[in-house]
Amino acid sequence: MELNVNGVTHAIASPPLTSLLGVLREELNVLSPKAGCLQGACGTCTVLVDGEARRSCLMPVAAVEGAEITTVEGLGTAPDGLAPLQEAFHSGYAAQCGFCTPGMLMAAHALIQRAGGPVDREQVIDALSGHICRCTGYVKIVDAVIAASGGETVVAQAPREPEGAVA
Amino acid sequence: MRGRRDIIQPDKERRVRASDTEVLIPTSAAQAVEAFGDGRGVTVFAGGTILMPEIAYGRYPAGGRTLMLERAGLDEISGDGTLKIGAMARLSMLTASGVEPLASAAGNIADIEIRAQATVGGNLCAPPGAESPRGDLQAALLAMGARVRSAGAGSEGVDSIDEFVAGAGAEPRLVLAIEVERPRRAAFLSQRRPHAHSYAVMSVACAETGDAIRVAVGGAGPRAVRLTAVERALADGSAPTQAGAKALDDVEPQDDALASAWYRRSVLPTLVTRALEQLQGG
Amino acid sequence: MKAVGARLPRYDGVAHVTGRSVFVDDVRIPGTLVAKALRSPHHSARITRLDTSTAERLRGVRAVVTYADVPLNVYGHLEALGIPADEPLLAEDDVGYRGQPIAAVAAEDADTALEAVDAIEVEYEERTPFFDMRKALDPDAPKFHQWGLVYPHFGSYNHRRVRRGDVDWAFEKADVIVSGVYRPQAIEQCPLETQVAVAVPDPDGRLTIYSCTQAMYFSMGVVAAHLQVPLNRLKFVGGTVGGGFGGKVDSASDTICALLAQKSRRPVKWRWTREEELLVSSTRAAWHVEIEDAVSGDGWILGRRTLTLHDAGAYARFSPYGVTKHAFHHTGAYTIPNLRFDGFVVFTNRSPTSAMRGYGVTSVSMAVELHMTRVADVLGMNPWEVRLKNANRIGDTTANRVVMQDPSTVPVTLAAAERVGEQLGQEYVAMTRDRRSGDLLPAHLVAQQAPEGAHVLEDEGGAA
Repeated sequence: MELNVNGVTHAIASPPLTSLLGVLREELNVLSPKAGCLQGACGTCTVLVDGEARRSCLMPVAAVEGAEITTVEGLGTAPDGLAPLQEAFHSGYAAQCGFCTPGMLMAAHALIQRAGGPVDREQVIDALSGHICRCTGYVKIVDAVIAASGGETVVAQAPREPEGAVA
Repeated sequence: MRGRRDIIQPDKERRVRASDTEVLIPTSAAQAVEAFGDGRGVTVFAGGTILMPEIAYGRYPAGGRTLMLERAGLDEISGDGTLKIGAMARLSMLTASGVEPLASAAGNIADIEIRAQATVGGNLCAPPGAESPRGDLQAALLAMGARVRSAGAGSEGVDSIDEFVAGAGAEPRLVLAIEVERPRRAAFLSQRRPHAHSYAVMSVACAETGDAIRVAVGGAGPRAVRLTAVERALADGSAPTQAGAKALDDVEPQDDALASAWYRRSVLPTLVTRALEQLQGG
Repeated sequence: MKAVGARLPRYDGVAHVTGRSVFVDDVRIPGTLVAKALRSPHHSARITRLDTSTAERLRGVRAVVTYADVPLNVYGHLEALGIPADEPLLAEDDVGYRGQPIAAVAAEDADTALEAVDAIEVEYEERTPFFDMRKALDPDAPKFHQWGLVYPHFGSYNHRRVRRGDVDWAFEKADVIVSGVYRPQAIEQCPLETQVAVAVPDPDGRLTIYSCTQAMYFSMGVVAAHLQVPLNRLKFVGGTVGGGFGGKVDSASDTICALLAQKSRRPVKWRWTREEELLVSSTRAAWHVEIEDAVSGDGWILGRRTLTLHDAGAYARFSPYGVTKHAFHHTGAYTIPNLRFDGFVVFTNRSPTSAMRGYGVTSVSMAVELHMTRVADVLGMNPWEVRLKNANRIGDTTANRVVMQDPSTVPVTLAAAERVGEQLGQEYVAMTRDRRSGDLLPAHLVAQQAPEGAHVLEDEGGAA
């Protein structure tokens, strides 16, 4: 069977019940989606299937034949450009250990595409509610998504620029 | 209920290499029925939200053939007074339908990504959970007096949801569709923590179809149960509190990882009372 | 000080948001085998038979290891801190917790590894398990640990002791005794990245280990000790950790993975499932803390008796160290001069416990703060004011006689009270962290106050 991942079509050799996550990570070496629980409970495996956020650990590859899969590797602009969402996560410190980040980014990306404009806190929480983060406490993640969508965030405290040059 | 699933030393009879099973992907309902046959040695694969973790943990159910229903055309919801819900209708379609108490019951499950993948048929046929209740839609379907259209050895037929739930496991059946009347009134209340992926300790569904009110509880035991004593009390004109007091007549709540039997016994009458108040108020 | 307070980009930020951070499970080495462990299904049992021969012969299996393959099977990770070794890397004679590893397999794929685990023949003689730490001193509690149910190596004692001043005087003098029992429960750190290791044998005999450890040098020492090799035979690669919170200090996967790599002469990856992580990996311990305070009618805490039980699970690991930290902090941010503290490390047939943020201290902080409010409730006093009165001040000494140079209790408490709009009495609002004097230096606090400039209070007399 064939699978389109981030715009490239691949012939898939893995057996039909191999999870999409397994195909991405083990056969195609697309490593951004993570194996956090393999039960659909944590959200680290989330990718887009035809533009919609799905748990890749729960989908057998046979069920997504012909679909367009998008992962974090498909965001941003080649070679090193960050998409607004990625930039917002980076400048807003929405990632600490980074393990939940790919899943959060894909779910957030799907939300913003669907909304077609600024989103508010309720919408972000609703879209990301199945994603666990053990590090950040979620506030900066939610703010980054709102900011990337062009919405208004509540800034906890204004940044203070250092004196002199910064490395 | 089959023995507690031991994750440290899994049941060796159940370990089958998923890569060894034959995967059939029928492209119509008729093909699916034919491929299912009498169901022996067949694992039905609907949304996959229960089976894929089993594969990941090396516990794929023994059986040589996997019947994947993804393309069998069983995912439609149609009809006005009587709703016909295909077995592969996703939970997200149920929440979008707004038909209660099914929409609320479905909306409680997991999160938006999983609801877009999990199916009503898979939920109805989920084996009882070892550590926490499963089959969250059963109570709603019982309250709605749903009918289950299924195929298997012999023929295609329609059972009442009560018969279907009671007979579960007797012989393999392939669920094709669920038919429900839109209730005149409905209510749904669950005891759970207010966040995604929170399993409901118990949920109570009630619905008035025809001129009878049916009440069912999920999570008090391995499968959802009709609270017939509560229904009789209501039919006799009891107020919600008096009817709710009958909640324990039909069910013996159990201990599990989520809550103790004691806790469930303490909570259920109040949960039923509040659901009935919601029904009357709404 | 250019960096403090500045918004600097995280050095790993771009990698995180582009999905390019290389976690251990992302390491790709051709020919890597999959490891799985045989784990005890019993809470407490003797192992009467262990036979891996069938498993070893399965097609696709490249190595099976048991206790016999470990050069030094029982090694205490904190022997340098005086905690003797008690825990085997792979179980030999018996198992003390459900999930304890007995053997491990490296195979070409996960299905084969799991089949090999199933093919290992093992027989057990189950024992009655012990779970309730409060019963550790009952004569008929089932003992399973070589040291009994209570860790005996706090010097010559079986508990961590703090004795200070004259606690009997305090309890005689008290106007009221306030008692409380506090039982913070076990918590699983639950990092999103499960325990994982990749071990790669080099042709020259060295091992490269890709580790998720929070403590690279520490883990290197642990692996070197179990394998009985000098440190320069190991190369550790790590630092990209998908959450740890204390749960990745114990080096739970590196050593067994290294053994399998050595024996198979192939790279081996051992990635724990989420179920293993939740059921087997170390947690923060459950504690049982009983506090009894001798209190004067006007709100002074004259003395404190504390009994702490700590549920170490089946093996000691770092528990004695955790109880010691707990002991240091058992007066909290408050100055209490007459003390009797006994802290016991109790062995139960639960997963061995270990570090989680604030190891040993969060439990006693919780107990102390709840207790301070209880004291206020019993006295009918404002709980903020009870805290301010007894708060550490400059020159006060801790339970173990360390002199407070600049304690923040008073200013922080006042700031917090103001933030939430709590109205306090004039004398309390005026309080500072300055050395006690006048009304704030009652007779019973004189001996504990250090001379100006001192860092440790050498001797204050009183009972030992």
